[in-house]
Amino acid sequence: MPGAPRADRRDFYEVLDVPRTSTQDEIQKAYRKLARQHHPDVNKDPGAEDRFKEISEAYDVLSDPQTRRRYDAFGPDFRQVPEDVDPEAFQRGRAGQAGGPGGAGGFGGGGFGGGAGDDLGGINIEDLLGGIFGGRGFGPIPGADTEAELELTVEEAFQGGHRSVTLEGPDGRRTLEVKIPAGVTNGQRIRLTGQGGRGSEGARNGDLYFVVRIAPHPRYRVDGRDLYVDLPLTPWEAALGTSVVVETPGGETKVKVPAGTSSGKRLRLRERGLPHPRGRHGHLYAEVKIMVPAKLTDEERRLFEELAATSSFDPRRR
Amino acid sequence: MGYALVLIRSASLNLEAFARATSTHPDLVRRLVALGILDAGRDTAGELWFAPSQVGVMGRVQRLRAGFGLNYAAVGLVADLLDRIAVLEAALREARQPEGNR
Repeated sequence: MPGAPRADRRDFYEVLDVPRTSTQDEIQKAYRKLARQHHPDVNKDPGAEDRFKEISEAYDVLSDPQTRRRYDAFGPDFRQVPEDVDPEAFQRGRAGQAGGPGGAGGFGGGGFGGGAGDDLGGINIEDLLGGIFGGRGFGPIPGADTEAELELTVEEAFQGGHRSVTLEGPDGRRTLEVKIPAGVTNGQRIRLTGQGGRGSEGARNGDLYFVVRIAPHPRYRVDGRDLYVDLPLTPWEAALGTSVVVETPGGETKVKVPAGTSSGKRLRLRERGLPHPRGRHGHLYAEVKIMVPAKLTDEERRLFEELAATSSFDPRRR
Repeated sequence: MGYALVLIRSASLNLEAFARATSTHPDLVRRLVALGILDAGRDTAGELWFAPSQVGVMGRVQRLRAGFGLNYAAVGLVADLLDRIAVLEAALREARQPEGNR
């Protein structure tokens, strides 16, 4: 795949994070380390592939002492400079020239196959790579699948809808409109076909997967498609029974609290949790929490004391 | 631009079609099957059949080989390790639900 000219081309030494004075060994070492880190099959981040290509391109140039010398002398445009040009004359004549050459890019150009005399423990890499893939060029190679996290609110997971997501890409940022199906759950993957790593030489692109993560919600706790919500009750509501309004992502609903309901009891609202597109919807559980006033009025205190004197109820009795 | 969830359920590929789809040589494909790096079924006539998902597996083999100069045994090992890591990461994501969720 031809690398698109980019205005923000970085210096190859900077890409490999090595000083300009580094030895070939140091360059190779830096490259191998970075390549392992950013290889698109190891690193699912959508930006990793471009980083990997950038690293491969830098290594391609700096690993060969001759191209490295030319890069040092002529800068990123060295490929456009004829072989017999004197570096100093070139520097003098080159006032404010901008733009870059087509980069190597793609898997065909990078990789450990680059560089003359590239050698792994006595085995010539060119020999290893030669055979089946057809010499140095690997032919069309499909792009890797990439993954990004997509944080949704409980309400978004409930209703579904559209969300604009901005990702860093090779040509700057790109904004994708993601269709969120109603009832997505934590860990579910939403696929955007062909939006992953780019294939080389016309091979298909990889897919981009958004992994759904439902953000913590001040009121709802999420377990699969079930939702849990606190239901604060007064002691007398819990003892006598009542009917209270509970908020659900689908709107308010009434829940009947039977008399004699203690803290911790879960009242199930059937299928009022997150929807399931092809099955049973999640339930919503209202968890009873009995609350008492932090400060009692004189009258409240008197009534509680009367209750304490009258009642024989002992929740700790065995 | 709008993207929808896509469900892919395509038919299996025979050796020729698989090699064409992945721009590889059938001999290489056979070798990778023998090494257990690609999964393939055999029909009664002994012909290899590949699930469409194996096209993606082949892509990864090509990328790992091109990117690291790995031999095929090493590609198999790395692919297995990456799969195991993916399973572990998914489990970790599940276990590490953000506070407030469970």
